Amino acid sequence: MSEIKKIKNLKDFSTSADRFEGANLLCPGCAHSIIVREVLNATNDDLILSASTGCLEVCTAVYPYTSWDASWIHIGFENGSTAVAGAEAMHKALGNKGRLKQPDRNPKFISFAGDGASYDIGFQWISGCFERGHNMMHVVLDNEVYANTGGQRSSSTPIGSSATTSPAGRVSYGEKKNKKDMMAIMAAHGSPYVAQVSPNKWKNMVKAIQHGMEVEGPVFINAVSACTTEWKFAPEDTMALQDLATDSLVFPLYEIIDGTELNITYRPKNVVPVEEYLAAQGRFKHLFKDEYKYLIKEWQERVDAKWDYLQKREEARV
Amino acid sequence: MQNNGWDEFEIGAMLRSFDGVAKDIPLKQPEDRNYSSSNSFTASVADWRIEKPLFNKDYCIDCQFCWIYCPDMSIIARDKKMVGVDMDHCKGCGICVEVCPTNPKSLLMFPEQADEEAELAGWPEKDKEEK
Repeated sequence: MSEIKKIKNLKDFSTSADRFEGANLLCPGCAHSIIVREVLNATNDDLILSASTGCLEVCTAVYPYTSWDASWIHIGFENGSTAVAGAEAMHKALGNKGRLKQPDRNPKFISFAGDGASYDIGFQWISGCFERGHNMMHVVLDNEVYANTGGQRSSSTPIGSSATTSPAGRVSYGEKKNKKDMMAIMAAHGSPYVAQVSPNKWKNMVKAIQHGMEVEGPVFINAVSACTTEWKFAPEDTMALQDLATDSLVFPLYEIIDGTELNITYRPKNVVPVEEYLAAQGRFKHLFKDEYKYLIKEWQERVDAKWDYLQKREEARV
Repeated sequence: MQNNGWDEFEIGAMLRSFDGVAKDIPLKQPEDRNYSSSNSFTASVADWRIEKPLFNKDYCIDCQFCWIYCPDMSIIARDKKMVGVDMDHCKGCGICVEVCPTNPKSLLMFPEQADEEAELAGWPEKDKEEK
């Protein structure tokens, strides 16, 4: 077994050498690459990676270039997780037969996918991987929309958001369905570790990633990724948006261990009203018209109820 | 590099990130790595920028917030010190300037054609209105 990389503070962390390269074609200010960097820099071990179709895949593997300095496979929309699971199964089988060339190395198997490829299209495949119990990590870059193809709604898109297939206008306030609770679904698979993280809380995130790499079994990480293009805010405000998302408790940061034990990993000192989070984004602009203002109130109630529920579960340890 | 057309690109082909034997990549900084011509590190997105960040090391406290939050691996940090900005890969998003905690900021955005020395000489003074 290799050692866990010791990261005491940000200065320590900054000595890491990135294995994800610049001149990829992600938008300026995209949170995707911040998440990828924090995941890859959390370890010095070998990496076996995949990315399901989405912004991350199409922007980092534009022929003739690759932006990845580790083994990375370019794969379809749905099967990024199974490709990595297959590699993991092969690694395990070769190890059992004693045919690994470097058996002392301890590669990490990580698949990246957007929310479209995880919540909708690749859901069945991920479910399969988790049911079979591969020793891998699935990282969702959750930007709540199919950003790569022009902003269609996904099952991660929250109520009131204007997406190109659920536009806000004269008769509609945009998306009408609430976001799928993927964390609970993956925890129900009996996964040893499920966590929601955000790159602005880097220490929290790196801790979660390192824990996820150490545990045996399939690990699910849901990372909040602010999308400057589809959420419609200025590129320099990405980290401010991430802060608003975590501090308004729209994206509470918590982990679920072995499907039951829930821990809240970040409690904001000053909870920001949800209204501020909504006001910072162009996709919720129409909610501030008089006829839709009741939706903001409903948003706040929903977020408060979820936070209550998480706290009760944390206390009850069930 | 050999340039193939899109229909000559074989199914199952592999792009190599490095030339020769690549060992201990996570322990090597970019200047020590042997990048191949198919690594995007060898490309540049400098022409995406409208504004560029300039770094004034007089005010920098090496907190590394800009390093961790840079989406384009463009903040060069060596031995826990902030060294500068990689202008080949910076897309000019401005996150580094937003997260910089010093007063005055040690990173500021300037128009792409701005002259570095002139701007450094005329760096804004400390904001006195601090409470």
